Amino acid sequence: MPTITIDGKSIEVEKGTTLLAAAQKLGIYIPRYCYHPKLSISGNCRMCLVEVEKAPKLLTACSTEAAEGMVVRTTSDKVKAARRDVLEYLLINHPLDCPICDQAGECGLQDYYMDYSLARSRFSMADKVRREKRRPIGPNLVLDNERCILCTRCVRFCSEVTKTSELEVMNRGDHSYIDLKEGKALDNGYSLNIADICPVGAFTSRDFRFKQRVWFLKRTKTVCLGCATGCLVEAHHNENVIYRLVPDPNPETNTWLCDHGRLTYKALQAGDRLKKGVIKNGLIELEPALREAATRIDEARGAVAVMGSPWLSIEDNAALARLARDSVKTGDYCFDFNFEQGIKDGILINKDQAPNTAGVRPVKAAYGGISMGELAGRIASGKIKLLLTEARAAALLKDALKDSGTRVVVFAANRGEIPAGAYATLPYAAYFETPGTFINYQGLRRRTTPPVAAPEGVKPLWDVVNKLASYSGASLGLDSGDDALKGISF
Amino acid sequence: MISVKKVNNKPLNLLERIYLYEIARGIAVTTRHFFANLFNPKGLPTIQYPEQPVPLYGNARFRSRHRLKVRSDGSPKCVACFMCQTACPAYCIHIEAAEYQENSVEKYPAVFNIDLARCVMCGMCVEACPEDAIAMDTEEIPGGAADRTEFLMTKESLLRNRPGEPSLKGAANRLANEYLGSRGEQ
Amino acid sequence: MMEFFEANKDIILFTGVAAVKLAAFLGAVMGFAGIMTLAERKVSALMQDRVGPNRASVFGFAFNGLFQPAADGIKMILKEDFMPARAEKLLFTLAPFFALVPVLLLFAVIPFGDYFMASGYMVELQIADLPLGLFLILAVSGLAIYGVFLGGWASKNNFALLGAMRGAAQMVSYEVVLGLTLAGLMMIYGSASLQDMVRAQGRLLFGFVPAWGVVCQPFAFVLFLTAAIAENKRTPFDLVEGESEIIGYFMEYSSMRFATFMFAEFVEIILVAMLTATLFFGGWQVPYLYDTGFMFPGGALLPLGHHLVAALQVGAFAAKTVFFCWFLLIVRWTLPRFRFDQLMGLCWKALLPLSLLNILATGAVLTFLAR
Repeated sequence: MPTITIDGKSIEVEKGTTLLAAAQKLGIYIPRYCYHPKLSISGNCRMCLVEVEKAPKLLTACSTEAAEGMVVRTTSDKVKAARRDVLEYLLINHPLDCPICDQAGECGLQDYYMDYSLARSRFSMADKVRREKRRPIGPNLVLDNERCILCTRCVRFCSEVTKTSELEVMNRGDHSYIDLKEGKALDNGYSLNIADICPVGAFTSRDFRFKQRVWFLKRTKTVCLGCATGCLVEAHHNENVIYRLVPDPNPETNTWLCDHGRLTYKALQAGDRLKKGVIKNGLIELEPALREAATRIDEARGAVAVMGSPWLSIEDNAALARLARDSVKTGDYCFDFNFEQGIKDGILINKDQAPNTAGVRPVKAAYGGISMGELAGRIASGKIKLLLTEARAAALLKDALKDSGTRVVVFAANRGEIPAGAYATLPYAAYFETPGTFINYQGLRRRTTPPVAAPEGVKPLWDVVNKLASYSGASLGLDSGDDALKGISF
Repeated sequence: MISVKKVNNKPLNLLERIYLYEIARGIAVTTRHFFANLFNPKGLPTIQYPEQPVPLYGNARFRSRHRLKVRSDGSPKCVACFMCQTACPAYCIHIEAAEYQENSVEKYPAVFNIDLARCVMCGMCVEACPEDAIAMDTEEIPGGAADRTEFLMTKESLLRNRPGEPSLKGAANRLANEYLGSRGEQ
Repeated sequence: MMEFFEANKDIILFTGVAAVKLAAFLGAVMGFAGIMTLAERKVSALMQDRVGPNRASVFGFAFNGLFQPAADGIKMILKEDFMPARAEKLLFTLAPFFALVPVLLLFAVIPFGDYFMASGYMVELQIADLPLGLFLILAVSGLAIYGVFLGGWASKNNFALLGAMRGAAQMVSYEVVLGLTLAGLMMIYGSASLQDMVRAQGRLLFGFVPAWGVVCQPFAFVLFLTAAIAENKRTPFDLVEGESEIIGYFMEYSSMRFATFMFAEFVEIILVAMLTATLFFGGWQVPYLYDTGFMFPGGALLPLGHHLVAALQVGAFAAKTVFFCWFLLIVRWTLPRFRFDQLMGLCWKALLPLSLLNILATGAVLTFLAR
């Protein structure tokens, strides 16, 4: 357990701790480009140079292990001069692209230049090295080699995290550049992380490209609902529009975020986003749609089945259970979902595509209900005249519903989710627009925080259920999502 | 500390206290102006603004209505970097960026609106522009419209050059210069 | 049918002529009041080296602002007619009429010409020649206070009520002076009928000076004008309601109700101008013009036809009215406002004693002359 002194403060650290990590513990920030806590140490950017007593030259803090009695200085004149010079080297060939570069505002070069350099360039613009700009690389990224500072974070990410090794540094010296290995394409399911970890604007996201300047974006921490992994994310949004999702690194679940999860927000802005009800194939206002659905439910009284959904939050599942028990008064309701869970690819993507399979279990525990097999049997035998459920859950019963003559009334956020042959569809607010509680595959409770508001008139599902019950003459008394959670222990 | 100024008001003399003489003097002044202006309306200093242009001083620092400069190939110099929108204290600039397929500049403003009804003519957008693309030298003073929509300047109404332009003086964009050079335009 | 006409010929004729006179005179007055709203702004603009309203246009023709009163009227009609929730609904509605109607009533006794012969009938160029016309003026103009006070009180607004109280105090006070200044005139002309007073002003003093009121009663003229402007509630006496600076009795009024108050003010300007012309400047009299034509003091004659004489007289009255309207506008835009204590002090400590003195002096002179 070596004890070291950094800028006059002493700390005892584990053997093998680097100076950069030790400084971080003391709250001393050392600038870095190539260092990333979840990637191997490379030590090539030289930005983290610090002065160590008795060492003849400056040492890289990211790769130097702490040894007993080390005295480290991070703010001495020597260190300051080194940082300034390193930045000057890095900026020699950097193009003046800031106005058209999406990284501007969260760029390592801009930030460190303002913090540590502020020197005028001594090299003329005409002498800068020219490289290939604006190269679409893979389905999600654009590569601009002129902006690259060769920190190799992207290369290490591909070889260490996804283990697909698509990228490599080609050539040597000042001819070096990042390129795809021969025969490879940058299409692994995690490629957008490269845009995040790139400290400059070399890799930028094609999806986010030119949509918005980063300094206009507001940040809201919420949960990704792309699969049962339940990664924590940060939604970046402005004026009621989400522009991108980035991972919110946490030790329990995720450091990264898969491309599928990053693009889940697009469903909100998609052209098929439902803002009105659908009866058969025609759009109608929400109120008449609700009335129609309630009339059909009343008509089929005694032969109505309700099914929850692993794509819905605990609140909304509980509201559906209340509707089945207290308003429709049927015993045919099903909250029984058993999908195999677990990380599929060793990184983040789960075998279970539904986000809340684990969260429906406490609802089942509180309200009971029949199993999915039983429900399918009853539908197939024609005992059920009307099935009320969520759109993606209805697809689970596709085979049983075929030729059964059962009317299907579903809740859906997007028109593309509606199963073929559905009689009525009611829109509800997605979980970027309303809070919802979920339980991920690890059993961790996840609550979404809505960054944006739902389209006008579109209500959370529990509220739609509450209205549906009141049209049938029953009061569920649901005034908030928390009301629905009463009686459920998880 | 409140400063006190002692005023020594001259006491009114009898003629003034009777008022009538002073009133007559006052009325004489206003009547003189009335008739002078009635028979010589050209002498009025009023300028009928929107119809009658105001002669400006020709001062280099004078800020008049905005314009967006145009490159020699007709494309806007603006690269939609949003610096003006960021700097604008009145939130009157609205930009939507888009991508060129051909031009190596990559980025251009698909929408560039300035709401002159909101603009405070501070010139911060001109200061902020890294591309020297926006200028306030049209020598037109905005104002005097019968409808709010007349104050909304769009990209089409903003794009214009002054005589002698386009010039590359002050142009910062290497990519634009290379692109224009490749097309034989400088 | 014919018998009925024959039997009631006089009454029908009288009624018909009265109706025509009423329509013509009141129509002229109301039209002129509309123009006055523009004139006020144009006159004030010109004396302040401005242009004034010149933008209201019909199909692009503005005629230097001639359509402004029409545009204002349309605007006023289209504005929201707001009434405070706790206002006295009936009185709130009636107050603007209390302000306007008494003023209109007074035009009945003002002679706008001598007489006019038409196919053997003599038509008096006055709507109603009342023997006590002057007293009617004093009595009815007192009613205008109701408009002010009811407007302020019915609004149920403390500031409006304060404005109304100021207005009532001011109008009651100046009414006293107004009445007393006119007493001297009645003593001289020996009549309270306005037509008689105008005819009396056709005489000549010393053979060549027209015996106009301003010549006989110069002092009363100044007092009357002062008191009349104060009655009219206009600058320098606009303490009742001072545009943007002093909120007054009609602060809760909007739309046409408010416009009615403003319109009453402009009609009142015309009334004051006509009264001034009638009482002090010979009314329809043109110096040296008699029934048959001009008779100048040197003995020169210029015979004129009856119609021309009548037209000249009506024209003279109109010209005098326009002049005094203009003069009142000039006064209103020249003088600064009094303080309220100065206003009341001026009335009770200066104008009232002076008007009493004026009566005394007039009486003394008349007694001396009669001896």
